[in-house]
Amino acid sequence: MQVLTKTIWRFFHSSGTNLAVEKSLLATLRKKTGYTFSNCKKALEMHNNDLNHAETWLKQQAQALGWSKATKLEGRQTMQGLVGVAVRDDEGVLVEVNCETDFVARNKEFQKIVEDAAMSCLNFIKSQRKSQDTITKICLDAEQLKSLKTLDGKSLADQLAMMIGIVGENATLKRALCLKAGNGVQLSGYAHPSGNSNNNILMGRLGGLLAYRVIEPTENATEVSKGLCQHIVGMDPKKIGSSTDEPSKNKDDEKCLIHQDYLLDESVTVKDLLSESKLEIVDFKRFECGESSHAVGDQPLEYVETCQ
Amino acid sequence: MTSIIVARALAPAFHRSLKQLIKKGSIRQLQNFAKTLQVVPQYRQKRFYAEKQVFERTKPHCNVGTIGHVDHGKTTLTAAITKVLSEQKLALARLYQDIDNAPEEKARGITINVAHIEYQTENRHYGHTDCPGHADYIKNMITGAAQMDGAIMVVAATDGVMPQTREHLLLAKQIGVTHLVVFINKVDAADKEMVELVEMEIRELLTEMGFDGDNIPIVSGSALCALEGKNPEIGSEAILKLLAEVDSYIPTPVRELDKPFLLPVENTYSIPGRGTVVTGRLERGVLKKGADCEIVGYNKVLKTVVTGVEMFHKILEEAQAGDQLGALIRGLKRDDVKRGMVLAKPGTVKSQDHIESQVYVLSKEEGGRTKPFTSFIQLQMFCRTWDCAVQVIVADKEMVMPGEDSRLELRMMRPMVLEEGQRFTLRDGSQTLGTGVVTKTLARLTPEEREAISEGKKAREKKLQAAK
Repeated sequence: MQVLTKTIWRFFHSSGTNLAVEKSLLATLRKKTGYTFSNCKKALEMHNNDLNHAETWLKQQAQALGWSKATKLEGRQTMQGLVGVAVRDDEGVLVEVNCETDFVARNKEFQKIVEDAAMSCLNFIKSQRKSQDTITKICLDAEQLKSLKTLDGKSLADQLAMMIGIVGENATLKRALCLKAGNGVQLSGYAHPSGNSNNNILMGRLGGLLAYRVIEPTENATEVSKGLCQHIVGMDPKKIGSSTDEPSKNKDDEKCLIHQDYLLDESVTVKDLLSESKLEIVDFKRFECGESSHAVGDQPLEYVETCQ
Repeated sequence: MTSIIVARALAPAFHRSLKQLIKKGSIRQLQNFAKTLQVVPQYRQKRFYAEKQVFERTKPHCNVGTIGHVDHGKTTLTAAITKVLSEQKLALARLYQDIDNAPEEKARGITINVAHIEYQTENRHYGHTDCPGHADYIKNMITGAAQMDGAIMVVAATDGVMPQTREHLLLAKQIGVTHLVVFINKVDAADKEMVELVEMEIRELLTEMGFDGDNIPIVSGSALCALEGKNPEIGSEAILKLLAEVDSYIPTPVRELDKPFLLPVENTYSIPGRGTVVTGRLERGVLKKGADCEIVGYNKVLKTVVTGVEMFHKILEEAQAGDQLGALIRGLKRDDVKRGMVLAKPGTVKSQDHIESQVYVLSKEEGGRTKPFTSFIQLQMFCRTWDCAVQVIVADKEMVMPGEDSRLELRMMRPMVLEEGQRFTLRDGSQTLGTGVVTKTLARLTPEEREAISEGKKAREKKLQAAK
């Protein structure tokens, strides 16, 4: 009797493994697609271990799976991330994308999203009409960013959801600033730390965009403008300042750009540097990653940037 | 009535003593007296820590930490370890929430987001670190709050290796962790094949990242089951198996006491009739009378013999790490030995003047600079009992912002005793700028390079121009 039950049990067990997904197939599928093990397994089970069908199904489902993961993780705080800076001709973009841990911010998958977002914003500002003013400034909030289309026609929100599905961590498109310059105004961008840049898109924890005008062409104008942009990222000035602004008594508390000591050469102030290299600063903007992340979910009014 | 009599009788005496005090100008005495007053009660104070236990040092100590993706159950595993061990009365069970909401900690003036948990196995006592982000682990390493001797990497069987697992392993390398134990979590939600595949994948990645992928122990189980007390074979038993692997695979760090002796010189005295005495706190090892030693620093290496060790004016047979002592040395003049030199076992220390380091730059709130700095800044480096001017070269970035950690190359004005893992402070004038740890010693500077340290910006630019 005992022997009989044992054989019966063995029978059940082995038939069970037969039903389960073939190990090597699962491994190949996972290697090929990179989707999570549980999803790969589900795909194989649904398509009777047909690798090709399972793969196409997975690719179709990726979007939906990403979305389901994204909705599941929604609301988790995102404090880390990257600021992307892109300048193309007379258009410039600053965009902030957040994630949960700085591990993810170092990952290529995440950096690709920042790149996509920056490219979409560039295309968006390109499509805008040039206004009469010297610069056109458009701020985008999270919702507006989500609906932007990437180069392959998907919305940014879809791309983000795909990334969330792969990385398994919440991420948000925080904000963007698009600039279009005209009338001889030029743009310059800088991101810190400046280690990684793809496709001329700079990425870092901090980013800055500078609009300046060349009064008299000098040979090192671009170099100085880059230095100034680095100065803005590093020193965090609050305003450009005009001749009516008094320099602050304590040098360390100086928030007025023109009165600050130049970062790369402390012996001159920014004002001196500007007059020396015949430049005029029209406008600047600095993004720091996570600086407005106190808000969970929707932004309260005071954090929303208004357009001028 | 009586009080008046007493007052009258005492008044002259009181006057006299007051006069004496003022006349002798003994304000210093007064100060001293005040100091004693301040100091003495501290020693005399009895504190009754009713609830505090005495830490018993019966087992070797080891620091470990968990790394892994946010959702793979690092915190659950930590909670499960304390729960399983608490059943054997080896730990205090900690709730998931307590570990997860660890308050920000201040170590050496730096704010770190870190959870420190303590537990022990049959063989060892553990300090367990868990941080949410890359930057926090780096800060933890730099401040040395709990230097990780090994790490437990957590991977969920349902997800397998994630894209950012690569970043986690890079971090482990960066903070000097070479011994890893892997825990495959959530096996209750996966089947056997999946677990095997995940294991294969992890080994592959480990090897690719330069770890010993074939021999690193991998344990699979479910932290949640252990925490809830269900399915002991994948729950508590798996946790115990993991701890056994941690016990055997992660080596016990060498105690300071067992290392060759090293004494940073704080002061030197010349005692008539006896010779030169150097004082300081023995940093590591055991110093015995009659030991051969080397005094290294300021470009000098002096060989000598310790002829006597004293503590509290009493002769000591041997001094142990941590003792504040005076060592009598043979055949050297007081002027030969200076504060900042190091007395050590011959051949164990070397002077360095060119190092690579990982530095955390204090933010403004922590009392650091407000401005970023760039390469070629001149700072003062403080380490052990010496300080030295250094030139900083920022390796990977164009500038370093306050509140950031960064890899810095330091070029020192003169060679001093330094070794990997040594901690130091960087100051700019009267302001502390950051804390760091030596990660690598580089080739000694050539005389030309040393000369270049003190060059100004103009000279550097000129040289660059000439090179073009």
